[in-house]
Amino acid sequence: VIRTATAVRRRARLRRASIAAFLAVMGPGIITGFAGNDAGAVTTYTAVGAHYGYSLLWLLLLSTGGLLVVQEMCARMGAVTGKGLSDLIREKYGVRWTIVAMLALLIANGSNVVAEYAGIAASLELVGVQRIVSVPAAGVAIWALVVFFNYRIVERALFVLVLVYVAYPLSAFIVRPDWESVARGLTIPTLPVEQAALIAAVALVGTTITPYMQFYIQASVVDKGINAEQYRYERVDVLLGAILTGVNGFFMVVVAGAVLFPAGIHVETAADAARALGPLAGDQARLLFGVGLFGASLLAATVMPLSTSYAICEAFGWESGISKDFREAPVFMGLFTLLLVIGAVVVLLPGVPLIPLILISQNVNGLLLPIVLVFILRLAADRGVMGDAANGRATTLLGWGVALLASALSLGLVAVTVLGR
Amino acid sequence: VPYLSEIQHRRVIEPNGDEVGKLADVAVVPHGQFPAAQWAILATPNGERVLRWADLAPEIGHFRLRSRLANTPDQQLPAEALRLARDLLDKQIVDTHGAKVVRVNDLQLSEVEGQLRLVGADVGVRGIFRRIGAERVAERFAGIVGRKLPRGIIPWHLVEPLQSSDSRVRLTVPHTKLALLHPADIADIVEEMTADERVAVFEQLDAETAAEALAEVEPEMQVSIVGDLDEERAADILEEMDPDEAADLLQDLPEERREELVELMEKEEAKEVEELLTYPEDSAGGIMTTDVVALAGELTAAQAIDELRVRKPDPELTYYLYVIDKEGRLEGVISLRDLVVAPPETKLTAAMDPHVLKVLAETPKEEVASLIAKYDLLALPVVDAQGTLLGTVTVDDVVELMLPRGWKKRSLRSIAR
Repeated sequence: VIRTATAVRRRARLRRASIAAFLAVMGPGIITGFAGNDAGAVTTYTAVGAHYGYSLLWLLLLSTGGLLVVQEMCARMGAVTGKGLSDLIREKYGVRWTIVAMLALLIANGSNVVAEYAGIAASLELVGVQRIVSVPAAGVAIWALVVFFNYRIVERALFVLVLVYVAYPLSAFIVRPDWESVARGLTIPTLPVEQAALIAAVALVGTTITPYMQFYIQASVVDKGINAEQYRYERVDVLLGAILTGVNGFFMVVVAGAVLFPAGIHVETAADAARALGPLAGDQARLLFGVGLFGASLLAATVMPLSTSYAICEAFGWESGISKDFREAPVFMGLFTLLLVIGAVVVLLPGVPLIPLILISQNVNGLLLPIVLVFILRLAADRGVMGDAANGRATTLLGWGVALLASALSLGLVAVTVLGR
Repeated sequence: VPYLSEIQHRRVIEPNGDEVGKLADVAVVPHGQFPAAQWAILATPNGERVLRWADLAPEIGHFRLRSRLANTPDQQLPAEALRLARDLLDKQIVDTHGAKVVRVNDLQLSEVEGQLRLVGADVGVRGIFRRIGAERVAERFAGIVGRKLPRGIIPWHLVEPLQSSDSRVRLTVPHTKLALLHPADIADIVEEMTADERVAVFEQLDAETAAEALAEVEPEMQVSIVGDLDEERAADILEEMDPDEAADLLQDLPEERREELVELMEKEEAKEVEELLTYPEDSAGGIMTTDVVALAGELTAAQAIDELRVRKPDPELTYYLYVIDKEGRLEGVISLRDLVVAPPETKLTAAMDPHVLKVLAETPKEEVASLIAKYDLLALPVVDAQGTLLGTVTVDDVVELMLPRGWKKRSLRSIAR
């Protein structure tokens, strides 16, 4: 077979674009919304509903609003500048701040990878596969998929698995929650000042507005070549994506709040979480929950290390790309492999409880979110970067509101932990 | 003062020692090979001030104004001026085809002819460490594990800042500038690239330079480059190569691809190459070149020199001139020196040396190499069973056989320089 140069380069471009793999069929906003529904999200929403009923729904509502505001900024930055978020941070703030931002991203995403592996292990333990088998197998499979194959097809297949989450809205109508209490939970902010509640709250914000999603949506917009003129259409896509995330979270919390909370079930294992789907699926609840969790975890475990390596190499000007080998792109391939290995190793540590591990990872995201938010807010408001498309007064206010909320919760958690309450 | 990161943010003081601000940026007009620092941008408590670079005197750890700030005239930056920190630092350098992306981690400055000039972009990891003030530490750490911190400077004359409409700067290392380098250097650079980039380089160089560079590239890599190139383009480059080198390369290609390429080459070059391809790769016929200066025996010395003027043979082929009869059989050899000093009316048959050392096309190349080495020859003619001159094997075709493995590149390049 004769490989012409154009074909070689076209293929390289395709591989590069695979950071936002299925952009051909769906918009960046919706995809990001989908990708955000990973192991961390499912676990956190279920745990929040099980432990606090509907009482934290107001925070979910605020977070979803915040997600919309922040995602809109990132998508706008991508469209106006044609550059990724790490690209802009580096060009605007130099090496030192880039190291800060990239460390935050690396730690947040690293903990996400751990969570995804935990999700894989937990879902497969539901059908009796030991994690000592499932985790290394998943690691090798992901590595091989990404390195040797065009993994976009696999990703689409995994998307189909994630669609079983439609079970939650269906369940919500079967279990007939007390909609009045739901409405109260949505509108009246209450938050017990205790460590466990703050952990839940920070995890809820951290899993709804993940640092990772902001880098991802901007990269997707850039990869799709959406420019400033087309951006007003892109706004709709961003709105839909945020709504998707919010609605998904809403039904998970509501179902868990209606099924698990009254029964006083504490979510310690995936089997506990699966019981939320009991009224809908009966004996098959474990299977249904397991399939969704497996698909979501495997999908995110594939995308996360990849997009993290892309973002970091972009910021520091290191060769990147899946078509390159270890010698050509040592940092890129090294980071990618390292994330996969570390994730697997942490989950395989003897006696690590999977569900708490996932919740902790979402706390890490929540704690690091303010750092990433500050970069986003400053960049999006910078007229030197954004020109006339820079944040207006209202957007700036909303954005800082989100950052303030995230920081306040994080600081609250730290304070409560240090004071030992 | 070698790097921007080392002078940026330095204190600027007045002649009497009062601090007036910090050096925020340096501006150049990006014309010429290494643009000179022309303006200094000061960050003062009252905002930025643009001064002439010459208004500052570098001292240890700070800059001193030559006169008081109030008496130093303000300057206007022209539209084409580039501010090094704002416009260049941390920006991406993209290859013209957009594949290889690196970042400007630092900018190298140097005192050239009494002026501070921008001489290079540091895209290496050393630059990153320098920016966070940890170059020494990193160097020591690398030393402990027995490695050296790699340098990654791109000379500024190879970088082209493109001022785009939205006033953002895009840097490229244009392949047109690559073409200004020695083919052996191009080969070195190309060997470090990824397959896609290599192909892009060979698509953009002119065919002649591409041919010379390709000849210097490692044989396995030659095959992969020619395999990936567009057929037309590959054929163009092969035409420009020495027939023996082209034949060697083609020999390593899959048969289908080889025939395709020979088909696309110009008739004349294709014929020479096809002839060469009929000989085994490790015989005299396989390594010889058919580009050879053969002169008819009845020419006079003067006519022969006129003939050379017309044919303008390659320099490496001119030292030995071969004399042939009407059937093309090798009769003798005459060196360029003997030809020039011979009386103009002398026939070549009279001036030549009839005792010419020659080999058959089937002779193994090791034997050819040892003959060339033994008799200190620059070239050895190759003939067929009838004595017809087919070509010559020059010393550079066999020098790798005389040297230990791996020596070829180094020694040949040092000879070339």
